[in-house]
Formats: sequence, structure tokens, C-alpha cells
Amino acid sequence: MEKVKVEICCGTACYLLGAANMMDIEDKLPAEWSGKVEIEAKPCLELCERENLGGAPYVRINDTEVMAQATPDKLLTRIGELLGGAA
Amino acid sequence: MADLTPNAQGSAADLFIEMEAAQFTKTGQGACGDDVRFLTVEKENRHLVALSDGLGSGVKANVLATMTTAMAIEFLKSNIPTLEAVEIIMDSLPICEVRKIGYATFSLFDFRLGGKARISEMGNPGYIHLRGVEEVPPLKDWQVVSEHWPDREVRECEVDFRAGDRIIMCSDGVTQSGLGVRKDMKFGWRRSGVLAFARERIEREPDISARDLSLAIARQALNITPGGCKDDISCAVVYLRHPRVMRVLTGPPYYKENDAEYARQALLGPDHIVACGGTTANILERELGVKVKVRLADMKTAGGLPPIGTMEGVGIATEGILTLGRVLSALEQMRPPEKEPTAARAILERMMRHDRIEFIIGTKVNESHQDPNIPQDLELRRSVVKRIAAALEKNYRKKVTLNYY
Repeated sequence: MEKVKVEICCGTACYLLGAANMMDIEDKLPAEWSGKVEIEAKPCLELCERENLGGAPYVRINDTEVMAQATPDKLLTRIGELLGGAA
Repeated sequence: MADLTPNAQGSAADLFIEMEAAQFTKTGQGACGDDVRFLTVEKENRHLVALSDGLGSGVKANVLATMTTAMAIEFLKSNIPTLEAVEIIMDSLPICEVRKIGYATFSLFDFRLGGKARISEMGNPGYIHLRGVEEVPPLKDWQVVSEHWPDREVRECEVDFRAGDRIIMCSDGVTQSGLGVRKDMKFGWRRSGVLAFARERIEREPDISARDLSLAIARQALNITPGGCKDDISCAVVYLRHPRVMRVLTGPPYYKENDAEYARQALLGPDHIVACGGTTANILERELGVKVKVRLADMKTAGGLPPIGTMEGVGIATEGILTLGRVLSALEQMRPPEKEPTAARAILERMMRHDRIEFIIGTKVNESHQDPNIPQDLELRRSVVKRIAAALEKNYRKKVTLNYY
């Protein structure tokens, strides 16, 4: 994949359940990914009110994929997979 | 200020009186020897200010000044004649062991919307009345002297205080700044220096708030004196103007069909709107066709709260209940906005710049906030907003309205 788009939910529940630890995720991206990852903070993805999605904090990847109980490590791993192990 | 008619007393109900003060304590002292007190008597639409400078400095001066403002403002409110009030105050002040007198100066301002203002001064630098950049003399002024205290002359002034006018009152720590340490200011900054500075600031920024002007004057007095604050510095400014209105939209409406009307409340201009809450921001995005943009730099430096976003042409967007909770504690404890996390600071600074704050509250409860895994109790939006309103009214003399959706 050429580029990965990441949207981090900054709603109250997500923030308290772990999104706060992802605010500096950009600093953790390997240099080789430069220009290939676009990170955005969103006011609320409104996923926490839906059932069976796995629990906050939520991150949305490439507009369609939802990562539940996201952590910086999980997110970095997933981005790496999508970039084809470019890390 | 441009939209103010020169003499708009007829529309007094639309006017707001902003009363603010800035102070610096004499270097090395733990307490300020000046005191400023404000009181609004809602029933009478009446606004009172008392500024006093206690003899000496530190705690002793603070006690004298605080006793003076506390008594003076109560006497004003109760319409006790000035002379009688002065005598009671002077008779009550504790006598300084060193100087064998009990003394504190005062400047008192008393204004009823739609009427004239009365200013009484004893020992303080003369007040400054500005209409735009022009100084306005009192309609009349006269001296009163107490038989008990013949050396304490009180100047009484009747003032034509109109929409757009400002009154500046200060302690001598302002007018005497620079005295003895600046060769170019043999007698200090003086009242004429304060007047020239205020005119220059107003010329540059015609709508400057009372808060910003009082702070600018106090800071300038501090800057004039090299090597720290030589005397307590206090400057109070009163500004009569049309209210600056700000709206805080928070929470989704209980009925979704009200979303469009709710979102329309956000069309007040980008400097006057805050959306607090992720769902709130989403509603505005959807209904008004705007995008919330969060700068990545703001994510890293948010200081313990979720970052702040901007909605072009509409306003700013913050997280909801955590941010409002932080705003509440800052308002209740009267902490300065500068030390708060970015989002809370942005809201607080906007609140300080406005006179009337309208809350547009969606009452739908966010069920995800009840998640037992959330590591802290989240209060209900409605109760937090009610407490914010109470703190804004009590501690900051703002007018607040609450509208529910």
C-alpha cells in the first residue's frame, strides 16, 4: 500500500481509555514511513456507542477499517503490515 | 465601538458594563497593599467599584485597604452619604504603630445604567474619563471635608458616563512608577503619562476591553520602574458598551430532528463560538458543512486534555466533559487561563473576552460515558454547565444564559 490514513478518536471515552497515549504517535513513526502515513485527530468517530465493535479507544484506518482497543504498538504494527513490512 | 451611538442611554438595557482590574504587588511583599472590589446590584442595575491603597505596604496595608473597600462598597450600596461613610471608615481603621495614623485612600465609582455616574476620591490619583481618546471632564465636582478629619478632603464628581466611555482609576503605584529611579521621569509616570498611554492604546485598539486596558496600564507601570515593583500597583477600568456575546454549544440535542436548529446557533462568528464535545462537533460538521481540523502539533502539546480543533468560519471545537470540568475548576478557583491545558485555556480566554455567555446545551446523555472501564467519574454535562454559569456570574461578573435542546 502506498499510503495509510489513520484517524484517532479524541472523544471523551476513547481519550480516557487510551487515546491520550497516542497523541505523540507521529514521533514514533520510523523514518522510512515518512510521507506514507497521514495521521489525524478526530473529535469523535462515534463508534463507542455502537455495540460489538470491541471497545474504546478506536482508530479508523483508511476510512473503513476499525481498530478497537487501540494502543500505539498495535497501531504501529498494523500500519507496518499495510505498508507491506516497509518498517 | 464604531456601532455605538454617542449618547445611547436610551438603550441602556442593551448595554453591559465591564469592570476589571489588574494588580502587581510590591517586590518582596507577600500581600498587595491595595484592594479593588466590584459589586453589581442587579435589582437596581447598579454597578459599584472601590479601589483603596492602604498606608505602607504588605499585610498591614492590605488590611487597611481591604477594610476600606469592604466598608465603602457596602456604604455605597446602602446610599450612606459620602461624608458619613468616610468618617466611619476613618474611625474604624486600625492605627499604625509606627506612623500613629490609620489611613487608606479610596476611589469609589457608582453607576446606574441609564443614569449618571458618581465618583468619590480621597488621596488617589484623579480618575480618567475617556470617550474614545478624548478626556471628558466631570459635569460638576466639589470638595467635602469631615469635621472629624479636616485633613482628609474628598473630591466628589458627577460624571456623564455614556455608551463607549471608559473610566480609569489607579493607585499611586501607577502614577508614581519610575519616580526616583528614572532620570527622564523626575516625578514618575504621573497621571498625564497614564492618560497619554491609555489614549495611545485605545487609538490603536478602539475596542480594547477593560480587562486588557487595565492590564496594559499596570504592566506599563511595572515596566517603567527598573528593578522590580517599588510600590503596589493597581489599575481598575470600567467600560460601558454593547455586550460581547459568546456561545458554547455542548452535547447533542435530545431529539435528532433538532440538530439543524441547534447547529444554526453556531452562526455567530468564529471568534464567538466554542463547540464542546465530539458529537457536537460532528453535528456542526454535518449540518453546517464545515470540517474540524486538528493540527498535529496541538495533539502533542494539549497538556492533558484532548487537542483543540478549528472549524473554519465557525469557531473552535474541543472535547466535552473533561474540558468543561477543567474550565469549571479554573473558574471556581479563579486560576488564570495561561496555566491551563490548551483546550481549557482557549475556552477560558474566550470567556474572559466576552460579557455575555450563552450555553446551548444538548441534553442527550452519552451512554459510552457510563462504561465501567472508564477510569474516572464523568459528571453530567448539565450539572457541570450550571456550575460554570454560577462561577462566571459570581467570580467574573458575566451574564450567562442556558438554553436546552
